[in-house]
Amino acid sequence: MHFGGIYEDETVGKIYDRRLMGRFVGYVAPYRRLIVVALLLLPFIAASKLAQPWILKMAIDSHITKGVMAGLPSLATGFLGIILAESLFSFAEVYLLQYVGQKVMYDIRVQLFSHLQRLSARFFDQTPVGSLVSRLTSDIEVVGEMFAAGIVTVVGDVLVLAGIVGIMLWMNVRLSLVTFSVLPLLIWVAFTFRNWMRVAFRQVRSRQANLSAFLAESIGGMAVVQLFNRERDEAREFRRLNSSYMEANLPVITWDAALYAVVESLSSIAVALIIWYGGGEIVKGNLSFGALVAFIQYIEKFFSPIRDMSAKYSVMQGAMASLERIFGLLDKEGKEPESKPQPPGPSAPAPKQGLQQICFKDIWFAYSDEDYVLKGFSLEMRRGEKVALVGETGGGKTTVTRLLSRLYEINRGSIAIDGVDIREMSLQSLRRRIGVVLQDPYLFSGTIEYNISLGDPEALQRVEQAAAMVGADRFIRELPKGYQEEVRERGVNFSAGERQLISFARAVAFDPEILVLDEATASVDTASERLIQQGLEGLMQGRTTLVVAHRLSTIRDADRIVVIHRGEKAEEGTHAELMSAKALYYRLYQLQFKD
Amino acid sequence: MLNCRGAYILGAVLLVGTNLCGLAIPWLMKLAIEGLQAPTSQGRFTPAQYGGMIAVAAVAQGVIRVFSRTTLLNAGRRIEFLLREDLYGKLLTLDRTYFSNWRTGDILSRLANDLTNVRMLLGFGVLSLLNTVVVYTAALFLLTRISPFLTICAIAPFPLMIYIVKRLSASMFRCSKRMQEALSRLTARVEENVSAASVVKAYCREEGEIETFRQACGGYLEASMGVARLRGWMLPVMASTGAFGTLIVLFIGGGQVIRGELTLGGFVAFNGYLAMLVWPTIMFGWILNLMQRGAASMTRLGEILHASAEVVEPDEPVDPGVIEGGIEYRNLTFSYGTAKMLRGINLKIRKGERIGIVGVVGSGKSTLVRLIPRLFPIADGTLFVDGIDLNRISLDKVRSAVGFVPQESFLFSRSIADNIGYGKPGATREEIERAARIAGLAGDIARFPQGFETLVGERGVTLSGGQKQRVAIARALIKEPSILILDDPLSAVDADTEEEILSALSGYYGERTVLIVSHRLSPLRGCDRIIVMEQGAIVEQGNHAELLELGGRYEAIHREEQLKAEIERL
Repeated sequence: MHFGGIYEDETVGKIYDRRLMGRFVGYVAPYRRLIVVALLLLPFIAASKLAQPWILKMAIDSHITKGVMAGLPSLATGFLGIILAESLFSFAEVYLLQYVGQKVMYDIRVQLFSHLQRLSARFFDQTPVGSLVSRLTSDIEVVGEMFAAGIVTVVGDVLVLAGIVGIMLWMNVRLSLVTFSVLPLLIWVAFTFRNWMRVAFRQVRSRQANLSAFLAESIGGMAVVQLFNRERDEAREFRRLNSSYMEANLPVITWDAALYAVVESLSSIAVALIIWYGGGEIVKGNLSFGALVAFIQYIEKFFSPIRDMSAKYSVMQGAMASLERIFGLLDKEGKEPESKPQPPGPSAPAPKQGLQQICFKDIWFAYSDEDYVLKGFSLEMRRGEKVALVGETGGGKTTVTRLLSRLYEINRGSIAIDGVDIREMSLQSLRRRIGVVLQDPYLFSGTIEYNISLGDPEALQRVEQAAAMVGADRFIRELPKGYQEEVRERGVNFSAGERQLISFARAVAFDPEILVLDEATASVDTASERLIQQGLEGLMQGRTTLVVAHRLSTIRDADRIVVIHRGEKAEEGTHAELMSAKALYYRLYQLQFKD
Repeated sequence: MLNCRGAYILGAVLLVGTNLCGLAIPWLMKLAIEGLQAPTSQGRFTPAQYGGMIAVAAVAQGVIRVFSRTTLLNAGRRIEFLLREDLYGKLLTLDRTYFSNWRTGDILSRLANDLTNVRMLLGFGVLSLLNTVVVYTAALFLLTRISPFLTICAIAPFPLMIYIVKRLSASMFRCSKRMQEALSRLTARVEENVSAASVVKAYCREEGEIETFRQACGGYLEASMGVARLRGWMLPVMASTGAFGTLIVLFIGGGQVIRGELTLGGFVAFNGYLAMLVWPTIMFGWILNLMQRGAASMTRLGEILHASAEVVEPDEPVDPGVIEGGIEYRNLTFSYGTAKMLRGINLKIRKGERIGIVGVVGSGKSTLVRLIPRLFPIADGTLFVDGIDLNRISLDKVRSAVGFVPQESFLFSRSIADNIGYGKPGATREEIERAARIAGLAGDIARFPQGFETLVGERGVTLSGGQKQRVAIARALIKEPSILILDDPLSAVDADTEEEILSALSGYYGERTVLIVSHRLSPLRGCDRIIVMEQGAIVEQGNHAELLELGGRYEAIHREEQLKAEIERL
C-alpha cells in the first residue's frame, strides 16, 4: 500500500518556475515606483556601508600611523553621521519593501477572493472548503515571505558587490586581482550547489505533499483505521513517509552547510592572500597599512551577502510551490454564466411597472451528465400568487428554486420573467428581484444587524422594519445589545427558530418582488414552530412566492399546489381539488403532512 | 528524544572548534601586521607564512563548519520527525469524541506550521544560540587580552542596545499576536464566505463580501506593517551598535596607538573581533523571536500530545479467547455531550442471531451499534460480549471480531483492491474478489478500465455513493468477523441492487451475529428479530409478523413505506 506513485511531481521543470515568476512580477509591477525608491535608497545604504572601512583607512594612514591626533575627532563625527544615515536608510528600505510585499499579498488575496465570488455553485459543490481557505491564507503568506527574506534586495546586494569591486580596483588593482582570484572557484561552487539544491528541494516539495495528503486523509478516516485495527499499519506507513521526508531534507541541509562553509572559508582565504601579497607590498612600500586594513574589511562585506544566498533560495522554492497553487485556483474555469448581450429595443425589461408573470417552460436540467433531475418541467406564476411545490425528497423541488436564481444553468428550456429570458438579464438584476430563504439558514459571525442587512446600505435602512414584519423584533429587543448583539460562528448562540426568523428578516429587508422559500424539513420544538409560523405570514405578505413546502399550513394557504414527480409536473391545483382527486398528492399528503 | 542529546553535544563541540579557527584568523592578522611594522624583530614568521596559516585555519574552519551545521540541523529535523511520529501516534489513539470537537484543518495546521516553528527553534535556533555564546565568550576573552580598557569602551553601547532590543521584542510580541489574530479573522471570513456561497449569490452580496474581505485584509496589512516597522528598527539598531563600538575604538584606540599604548596590529585585530560580534548580536534578536514563536507553538502541539482519549485499553484485560458474538446490553444509558442518546437499554442478542434495528433520525439506533466496537466510551457493567464486560476486553480483540460498515463510507485514495483488502492484511486476490462479489460490486469493477487496480478518490475515479457503500461492505466482509454491523449500509443503493446484495449476504451470514440498522424496512427482511427505537429507548421488538400485529410504530412505518411504494409505481 504505497502512496509514492500518486503525487509524484519531481519532474517539474525550471522553465515552469520561470513562468510562475514572470506572472508574479506582474503583481509587483503596480508598485514599481516604490520599488524604484527602495532601489534608489540602496546606493546610499551601500555607500554608507562602503564608507566605513574607508574612514578607518584614513584614520590609520593619516592619523594613527603618523601620530597626528588633530582631525581624528572630525573623522569620528563623520563616522557617526554615516552610521546614523545607514540606520535611517536601511529602515526606510526594509519598511518600503515590506509595504510593497504586504500590498502585493493584499492584491493577490483580494483578486483571488473576488475570483471565487464569480465561480459557479457547481464549483463550490465540488471543492472542499479547507483547500480554498488554505489557498487564501497560508499559501499567500508563503509568497509574502519572499519580501521579508529580502529577495528583492538581491538587486541591492549586487549593487554593493559591484561597489566594493570598484573601490578595491580603484584602491589597488593588483591587490584586488589577488583577492578576486578566489572568485571563479566561488562562482563555480555557487552554481553547482544551486543545481544540486534545486534537485533536493523538488524532492522535499513532493514528499511533503505526500506526507500532508496522507495525514489529511488519515485524520478524516480515523474511525475506519481504528475499526479495522490498522493503527500499526497506518503508523508504519506514516513512518515511511515521514522518514522519507526527513531524509529528503538532509541533502538540503548538507548542501546549505557546505555552501555556507565554502563561502566563509573562501573569504578567510582571500584575507590570507591579502596578508601574504599585501604584506610583501607594505615591506616594499607600495601599500599603506590603512589600505590593507580597509581591504580586509571590504572582503568581509563582500562575502556576507553571498553567504545568505542559500537561505533566500529555499524561501524562493517554497514560494514557487505556493504560487503554483494560487495561480491554479485563479485559472480555475467554471465561472458563473455571463449574460447574453441584451437585444436592443422591444425585449428589454419593462421598466418599473412591477412583476407580472414568471414562466418556466419545458425545463430540462441535470447536475451531472445525463442524469436529469428535471425532465420537461413547466410552470406559470402570476403576480402575487403563492405556489407550493410538493413531492418526494430528491424529486427536483429545490432544484426548481435554484434554477430561478440561475445558480445553475438549465440544459434545455427557458425561464422568463415578464417575457424576458433570465439569461438575458444580468445576474445582479435578476437576483435582486428574488429573495431566497434556505432550508438551513446560514448566519455569519457579526451583529444581528449585519446578518439581516448583509452590509447592504439599502437593506440597512429597513432592518428594524423587516424584523418587525416577521416578528423577530421581540426576541431581538430582549437581547442585551439588541440589534448589535454578536452572532457567533454559524449562529450557535441562537435557537433554530430564532435563526430562521433572522433569515426571514433578511429576505424582507431586501424587499424582493419574488420570494423563494425552501422550508426546513427538520422538526423544531413547539416554541420555535410558533415563531416560524408567525414569521412566515409577514414574510410572504404581498409577494409572489414559490415555496418548497414541508408544512401543513403552507400548503393549505397556497393559491396553487404543484406536485413534482420524477422531474415532471404530475398534478396541479388547490389543496381541496387535489385531495378530492385522490391521486399522487393525496398519498403524499398522508405521508408528509398528516401527523 | 534522548538520543538527540548526543548530537547536540557533538554539534556544540564542533561549533566551538569551528569558531576557534575563525577567531584565530584576526589573531594571526594581528601578529602579521605587528610583524610587518617591526620586520626586524626575532622569531617572527614572514607575511607569506602568516597568510598560509590563515588559509589553513580557514579551511579547517570550513570543514568543521559543515559538520557542526549538519549535526545540529539534522538533529532539529530528527526531533521534528520524532515529534511528528509521536503526534500521529497520539492521534491514532484518540476517539471520535476528540475528532468531533477538533477541526481537521486545525490539527493539520498544527502538524504543519507549529511543528515547523518548533523545528526552527531546535535547529537554527539552537545553532545560532550556541554560536552566539561561543563567539561572544571567545571574542570578549581575546578583546580583553588585547586591551581591557578598550574592551570596556567598545562594549559600552551594548547594554543600551540590549535595553532597546528588549523593549522592541516586547512590542514585537504584542504586534505578532495582533497580526496572528488579524490573520485568523481573515481566515474565518474566507471560511464563512466559501461555506455560504449560495447565500452570497442569492443576495447578490459578492461586491459587499469583497468589500468586507478587503477590510479584513486591510486590518491584517496594518497589523503586519506594525511588525514590519519593528523589524525595520531592530536591524539598524543591532548593526549600528557594532558600528558605534568601532567608532569608540577608532577614537580612543586610535589615540592609544598614537601614544604607543597599543600596537597597530592589536588595533586591527581588535576591530576584527568587534566586527565578529555584530552578526551574532543581530542573530540574537532573531533568536529571541524564534524562541517566543517556538514556545507558543510547542504549547499548541502539547494540546494534542496531552489530549486523552475516553475510550482506553483496559488495565487488566480479560482474554475472551475467540469472540463468538453473544451481546448483552444491561440497563445501558449513554449521553453525548449534554444530550441523552440512549436510555435504559436492556437487550440480549444470542450468538448467530440476526437483528434489525429501525427508527427515525435521532432515535439512537446508530449509537446503539456504535458502542459495540467501542467507538464511544461506555460505563463499566453495561455492555457484555460473550458474557464479558466490553470494557475489560482489549480494543484489539473487540475490533478484530467486529466488522463494521459505517453510515458514511470513507474510502482511502488507494486502489479498490487495497480498499477492500484493508479489512484483512495480506488478503489474497481471491478473497478480495469474493468479498466484492457478495457486496454486489463485481459488475461495477468489471466496467472500470483498470478493474481492481482502479484508484479511488481525488486522483482516481469518483465512485457513486452506492459504489462507495458497497466497497465499505466488502471491506467489512473480508474480515470474516463474528459480529457484523451494518449501519444503514444500503441507503444510496437502488432497490434492485439492494435485493441482489441482501440475498448474497444471507449466504455469507452463517454463524455470525448480524446487526443491521436501517431507516427503511426492506433491508431488514430475513432478520430474526427487529428492534424499534424511539428517543433513545427500545419501544417495540419482535419478528415482522409479531410487530405488524402489534399495530404500533413498526406497523406505522410499514404503512408509510407501502404508501411510498405506491407513489413510486405511479
